[in-house]
Amino acid sequence: MLFRVAAIATTALAVLALASLRADAQSMTSETISFANGRVTLGGDVSATFSCTDSEISTSSVCADDTGFFNYTDYEHSALRMVRIDLIAAVRATERLSFLVEVRTEDGDRLQPYALYARIRPWLSKPIDVQVGRVPPTFGAFTRSTYASDNLLIGYPLAYQYLMSIRSDALPANADELLRMRGRGWLSTFSVGNTLPDRGLPLANAFRWDTGVQVHAVGRMVEATAALTTGSLGNPLVHDDNPGKQIATRVVVRPLPGLVLGASGAVAPFVSRAAAESAGAAASMSGLTQSALGIDAEYSRGYYLIRMETIMSDWRVPLVHTPAIDLPLRARTFLIEGRYKIRPGLYAAARFDHVGFSEVAGTARTAEWEAPVNRVELGGGYSILRNLMVKGSYQRDTRPAGRTQKLNAIATQVVFWF
Amino acid sequence: MLRRLTGGCRRIRRRSWMLTAFAAAAGLVSFDPARPSAAGADGSIQGRVEIRQVLPSSERRPTVSDFGTPRERDLVDRLKSVVYLEAAPRGAFERTELARAVMNQHNETFVPHLLAITTGTIVDFPNGDPFFHNVFSLSKANRFDLGRYPSGKQKSVQFTQPGIVRVFCEIHSHMNAFILVFSHPFFAVTDDSGRYRIAGVPAGAYNVIAWNEGRASEPKSVSVPGGGTTELDFELR
Repeated sequence: MLFRVAAIATTALAVLALASLRADAQSMTSETISFANGRVTLGGDVSATFSCTDSEISTSSVCADDTGFFNYTDYEHSALRMVRIDLIAAVRATERLSFLVEVRTEDGDRLQPYALYARIRPWLSKPIDVQVGRVPPTFGAFTRSTYASDNLLIGYPLAYQYLMSIRSDALPANADELLRMRGRGWLSTFSVGNTLPDRGLPLANAFRWDTGVQVHAVGRMVEATAALTTGSLGNPLVHDDNPGKQIATRVVVRPLPGLVLGASGAVAPFVSRAAAESAGAAASMSGLTQSALGIDAEYSRGYYLIRMETIMSDWRVPLVHTPAIDLPLRARTFLIEGRYKIRPGLYAAARFDHVGFSEVAGTARTAEWEAPVNRVELGGGYSILRNLMVKGSYQRDTRPAGRTQKLNAIATQVVFWF
Repeated sequence: MLRRLTGGCRRIRRRSWMLTAFAAAAGLVSFDPARPSAAGADGSIQGRVEIRQVLPSSERRPTVSDFGTPRERDLVDRLKSVVYLEAAPRGAFERTELARAVMNQHNETFVPHLLAITTGTIVDFPNGDPFFHNVFSLSKANRFDLGRYPSGKQKSVQFTQPGIVRVFCEIHSHMNAFILVFSHPFFAVTDDSGRYRIAGVPAGAYNVIAWNEGRASEPKSVSVPGGGTTELDFELR
């Protein structure tokens, strides 16, 4: 623990030292650090988040943790209790070629390459780019707002963070097994494939990026992106664990100033080769897919900003035993969030978020295959400096199954970026 | 009615003294009542500001979540400086007419990047880009947020407090500009070659300061003869 605190402090000091390289001039710390005539630019985003919940089953007498794992990005890390440090570098090698890298550490863990890719512009006169490597997610709108400085509130949308019981390396043998894991996505166990308990998958992973090739073209009002990557929406990978690839597309239209409309789609085999073989479904592995459709909209004007996003995702898993699982397993999410600036530097924000699931019939009951979750988060932020912000929020989560079915949390976050 | 106007003038005078005190605290300008204001024709101060190390144009914040190369933008001219009297002569704060200035938003750049104005000046911020901008400042001297507005629209701010105001765009984090608000009119912005001229300076002895992108020179003493011109050069590292 002491080592981890020391590691966090050392990294934070290093980031602050980097940020203050240009602090010779007043207020210069908010500027991006650049070298070699602007060919190399460095940026960063540091956030420290602390929260308290009203959990009745926590052993903590001071400030209870999120025992419902509503905000956990995996078994170890909660988005509401985290020190996260991101360092970003862009290197413009030539007019046509750039390299982008982001390394990230959460709670003092070792630095992880979050993004690492080359950006190629084949024709200088045409706004078409090819990105190769660990590339940004093509699907969805929120994946471009995951930095703490871009996120209106402290929590993340359920679609991009909430862990469901479904796994790529372990499969339920029947509907009863699946129903037993409702609300246990933080540590789910199934009898086919990897039988060890492990975290489930979110619908779309905002914390790990996929590896592959992405093509992006921009028109006057329309942007289009397509990607071919190794993993799936909920389980992005560097090394593929099955023979299939993910195809993802996104189209964005800007019909009016301030109005952004987007549509996304993705499909990929998501079950690992080992799990499919254990289920006796190696031959039909390419049909064991996660497929998703998403629609999003953003409108801003004056002091208002409103965003909406809805996603529908289907999973197809092998049918091993009876009672058979009703396929496809479906999840639907909906979020709406808004921000209003009350005065310079001060804003209020709110988000309503829901994730619901299709029903499966077990031996004793018919129920949604995962516990549906509702989340309301209310809060705001105050900018002390242009690049130093304090946020606060109240979050309420409810679901009809799982170890904790209701959770009230208050959280505060300090964000520094350059 | 006449009494009300007179009262208004008194309030303006009292306020101008408060502004002077604030400016002194901010280090931007101070008023030295011990310095005599000379009678007779006004003089001028002119010269050149040489910047040894020009700060590079501020780069975009690198972001890995974008799909492609960001659009081209104009580079910021950070060569221009402001030269001003540290202590203004008596009577310099009596002017009450309101001025107007413009800071455009063009190709993701504030134009001009540096604006020097007197207190009370209204600055218009027209959006010349085909997309939204959101001009704001969290500077103590003048805190404002104009919200998001589209191409062809403009919003305005009256700068009532002297001080250094850093201006940003909330949507485009690389956009930034300086507005230096003085409570007296004895300042000048340098031209492309670094030349400046402060005209209409009452004869007397003054301290003059040059300022560029947050860096200020040591005050230089100068004596301005009535009706004459004094040469004064600066070098900023």
